[in-house]
Amino acid sequence: MNTDKKEYTNPVGKSVPRIDGRGLVTGQAKYTFDLKLPGMLIGKLLRSPHAHAKIISIDTSKAEKLPGVKAIITARDTHLIKFGSNEYFFPQTIDQMAIEADKVRYIGDEIAAVAAVDEETAQKALSLIDVRYEILPAVFDMTEAMKPGAPQIHDALNNIALILPVNFGNPDRALKESDYVREDIFYTQSAAHCAMEPHVCVGQFETFSNKITLWTSTQAPFKCRESLAKCLKMDLNNIRVIKLAVGGGFGGKLEMFPMDFAACLLSKKAAGLPVKITYTREEEFSFSRRKHNMIYKIKSGVKKDGTLTAITGEVIADGGAYCSYGPTVLAAAMMRIFMVYKIKNFKITGFRVYTNNPISGAIRGFGGVQSGFSVESHMDLLAEGIGMDPVEFRLKNITTPNMVTVNKIMLTTNGLKECIEKATRACDWKNKRGKLKHLCRGIGIGIAADVMGSKMYKAHESAGSIIKIEEDGSVYLFTGAADTGQGSNTALSQIAAEELGVSYTRIKCTAADTEITPFDTGSFASRVTFISGNATKNAATDAKKQILNIVAEEHKMNADELDIKAEQVINKKSSSVIMNFDKALELCYSFNYGRQIIGRGSYNPKTTPIDFRTGEGNVSGSYGFEAQVAEVEVNKETGQVKVLKMWDAHDVGKAINPQSCEGQIEGSITMGIGYTFYEDLKFKNGRVVNPNFANYRLPRSIGTVPIETIFVETNDPEGPFGAKGMGEASLLPTSAAIANAIQDAVGVRIKDLPITPDKILKALKEKDLMEKSKTKS
Amino acid sequence: MLLNPFKFHSPADLNEAVRLHNSLNNARILAGGTFVINTLKSLKNMGVKTPENIISLKKIREIKGISRSKEELSIRSMVTITELFESPEITENFPVLKTACRHIATNPIRNMATVGGNLTCRYTWTELGAILVALDAQMHFAGSDGREEIISLEEFFKNQARSSKILKSVSIKYEKNTRTSYQRVRKSSEVDVPLLAVCIKTNFIKKRFADTRVVINNGLEFARRDLKLETFLDSVEPGNQTAASALDHLDTSIYDTKEDDYKKAMFRVSIKNAVNEILQGSKK
Amino acid sequence: MILNINKKQYTVDIQGHETLAEVLRDTCGLTGTKMSCNEAECGACTVIINKKAVLSCITLAADVEGEEITTIEGLSDGDNLHPVQQAFLDHGAVQCGFCSPGMILASKALLDQNPKPDQNDIAYALDGNICRCGGYLKIFDAVRAAAEEKSSVKDKKV
Repeated sequence: MNTDKKEYTNPVGKSVPRIDGRGLVTGQAKYTFDLKLPGMLIGKLLRSPHAHAKIISIDTSKAEKLPGVKAIITARDTHLIKFGSNEYFFPQTIDQMAIEADKVRYIGDEIAAVAAVDEETAQKALSLIDVRYEILPAVFDMTEAMKPGAPQIHDALNNIALILPVNFGNPDRALKESDYVREDIFYTQSAAHCAMEPHVCVGQFETFSNKITLWTSTQAPFKCRESLAKCLKMDLNNIRVIKLAVGGGFGGKLEMFPMDFAACLLSKKAAGLPVKITYTREEEFSFSRRKHNMIYKIKSGVKKDGTLTAITGEVIADGGAYCSYGPTVLAAAMMRIFMVYKIKNFKITGFRVYTNNPISGAIRGFGGVQSGFSVESHMDLLAEGIGMDPVEFRLKNITTPNMVTVNKIMLTTNGLKECIEKATRACDWKNKRGKLKHLCRGIGIGIAADVMGSKMYKAHESAGSIIKIEEDGSVYLFTGAADTGQGSNTALSQIAAEELGVSYTRIKCTAADTEITPFDTGSFASRVTFISGNATKNAATDAKKQILNIVAEEHKMNADELDIKAEQVINKKSSSVIMNFDKALELCYSFNYGRQIIGRGSYNPKTTPIDFRTGEGNVSGSYGFEAQVAEVEVNKETGQVKVLKMWDAHDVGKAINPQSCEGQIEGSITMGIGYTFYEDLKFKNGRVVNPNFANYRLPRSIGTVPIETIFVETNDPEGPFGAKGMGEASLLPTSAAIANAIQDAVGVRIKDLPITPDKILKALKEKDLMEKSKTKS
Repeated sequence: MLLNPFKFHSPADLNEAVRLHNSLNNARILAGGTFVINTLKSLKNMGVKTPENIISLKKIREIKGISRSKEELSIRSMVTITELFESPEITENFPVLKTACRHIATNPIRNMATVGGNLTCRYTWTELGAILVALDAQMHFAGSDGREEIISLEEFFKNQARSSKILKSVSIKYEKNTRTSYQRVRKSSEVDVPLLAVCIKTNFIKKRFADTRVVINNGLEFARRDLKLETFLDSVEPGNQTAASALDHLDTSIYDTKEDDYKKAMFRVSIKNAVNEILQGSKK
Repeated sequence: MILNINKKQYTVDIQGHETLAEVLRDTCGLTGTKMSCNEAECGACTVIINKKAVLSCITLAADVEGEEITTIEGLSDGDNLHPVQQAFLDHGAVQCGFCSPGMILASKALLDQNPKPDQNDIAYALDGNICRCGGYLKIFDAVRAAAEEKSSVKDKKV
């Protein structure tokens, strides 16, 4: 094999180019959005126009007669099986049917699907389906939904899908013994993922073999397969889910969608013709998934010296009509506190509530964003209450390396202190905090933890990898991990090459095809580098061993004496070269040996089951950390806030690809800035009122905030080459860092997102009035 | 398909365009397309009937380009926002227009959208509208008999931007000693649709305001003048307090903010800033 | 009619109401041009017509007969990437890639007209292209680098 790019040996730690980059910059990479198959039909979903109603009857006869219509399905065509995305640990959340049978619970709930020769015909067919509903009273406010007498959406009492009580120690006593106690309520809004590629899938049923192939824009092809198998009552090996290039996911593509199910079933009914269903942008906003809007009540106590004594509170999350990943989101909104703060007395109860709004699900940060804003704002207020600098306050209370928290989270490497120190040094905290008010400028900090996977998905959370080395020394890496743009194919290929001891350019990565690649739970919770990375490393170790065994045999040596470094098989002790990698492979495939080199690896992170009655359990194999600082300038006349700069110091264990890590941090912070200032998914009577980019604003090139990234490499002993996962945590503290900076700049505290100029102006006015009345009295 | 079917026409000259416009059934003029095509998509999604004929003005030479005579500047209707922005005439003589152009929508839209479309599409938010009313722009329409029909932009907006004729060009007069200030406020980010805009143009002679035109755009209606404030500014002896005093001389009936306190406050801030900017001598 | 795309003549049989985006993707098979919003907001459908970046989802194909159209497929020359494409790769300005064709074309249109853009020029040239994955910092880096005709892969040190 021609490998003259020497700089790509030992690729871990280097910003090597994306393995799939050429396809992306030339427009040649194929997304499901681009997929066209012979005979392909266009599918469309019929959705409820009512937020809450019983389905009395559905008559598809007129639609069936429309020329060009090839298949129509309703619940009658299904096994009426319910599924849930968090079903393993929360069976009570198995509450959704792909095509609803008796009842609809939000505007957009799917009740039928049509496949036709073109989009116009499919759309016309939808309008010809006669549905009779009995409209039921609906409820859209989460606190209203919890009251007795509220419309009953599922069977859950008071529409509470889930209560998560987390209690430790004696918080009541600890609060009484505190020198300062305060209570705050924070409101965080709903938001949308806005991945650039919408949800899209093509389903094809192979009539002679009873096999389904589904191409879908997904972050979790195996989860999709699992739910399809359940709902269609099929074996896993009769369903093939293929992930092509994906134009972003951000948590919105982590589960089976009605479109996936419908495309497959429609294809079956249409004698095996492939069926493509694409969401419009309006459907993306209105009918896919959204962020849980939350009410976060938090009451904490501190001692004069800054020690946190107790944290108590209540979290209410608007879950919309079905559960999706709601339980994980709720858990994350509470558990992440334990990863960053040493706290023994704790009592927060979380409620995930059903409403007749569209479905809330997983979105980057998984509840950690809402809690990040609330808790990190609250911490600053506690510090202020005892006259302590917020950085000092955090340093006083943060977790340390190698400690077990009160809820049995096992922290190993923990760079939080170093992150705080580096971030505050980089931004010149000492000379800025409290000192720039005359310029209406301020600086604020927020901290957060990252998990690697979340153990909420299945009994195991393992990933698998296969490495197949061809006779010319070229390498295949088969991984189940789903690259949705974050660069996992690249990072995993780097890990494979590093462990094998060869150049990165030898690796070809095939990913996320449930028929070819080993199982992987998917791309979420920053798990891929850590979990799938370890599986890949193990597969590479296995493959290397197989090669070295043959070389050792040939040279009458012990395999343990050998290694592969920089494309050479070497004697470890003397560093002398035995033969180069290509020759070694020739030997493996030669007459005397003829042995295929197929390395396999799997990895399941060392976690403990979580007890959801108490909140105890080690959810992740390792934890990442970060400290983020925001510097802002407030225009007191207009209320506009300009973020001058952000600093992010991030414990990534080891940056496998520094450029990709930076890209993740920058993208995440940008999303955080959007959420802080202008992303706001609004509803009226259960309908999204701004389902388009004109009215749901996203960050753009204008107003881009400079971001300085600082890597803290704690070299995690469990992670592949010391790496931890990352990509999610960076938007957790952003809103609070900004809110804290605004407080520093102009002395006002905004407790409900998004922070808009009118809120700032109003708060400034109120502050002025209060100060005037103080001076008067 | 993204659009409902229609018959596409691309006349080579203005007379042909006028003829088609007058004779075809259910026809719509297409300039840059940024408004019309987008609207056609929405109408299709809503199941509303759409035009059967689209008449593109793209090939018509006589409505392209910017030219000047001694007294006035003529901006033809098919000039794009980008062309306006890049025009040396505009850069030198009407910099406030250039500034406004920079902030209209986004780059590709600026490359496609036309001055004519911007003013005639009946979208109350027209960035250029407020400034051109302040500059007392005149609209030149193509009459059916080959003649021009001229109407001030202010009148055109008073008539809710309704016209059955094709716009040929917009003209603005060159004036000496003008000072102009354009203020716009976005609600929450650099890339939001504006919340409001204020444009004040005056002939600043002997340190006083003269022939002042104050134009406000609140997004709910087309840009219109605040005659009360104009009278005040023309009569006042300008000083440090002028900007603040101006706020007591507003025709409040036209600042309809639908009880949006923030918008009310921002109008006041914008007017204050506009007056101060003129007094400080920005020749924008 | 004949469309002039990437310096090639495409003879297409299209209807008056077909947008250029649809004709490029469905009739000409050039799926590099993406669509994401259908409301002229996101820029994924950006192409270059007569040296200007425009949105193909609100352009009628019939209206651009005879114009010089450049899509992402027209940028690379066989094996060689266009400097802007290479710069995007080198500077980590591509993540999921869905916005990339539009973003790269908007960048190219800018640099062809303004070889030395400042930060503001770049920001305004790209304000019609949304990137949801990575933000814009690395895109700025890439455009600046392409302008300087440099492209290097940097190692980040702690």
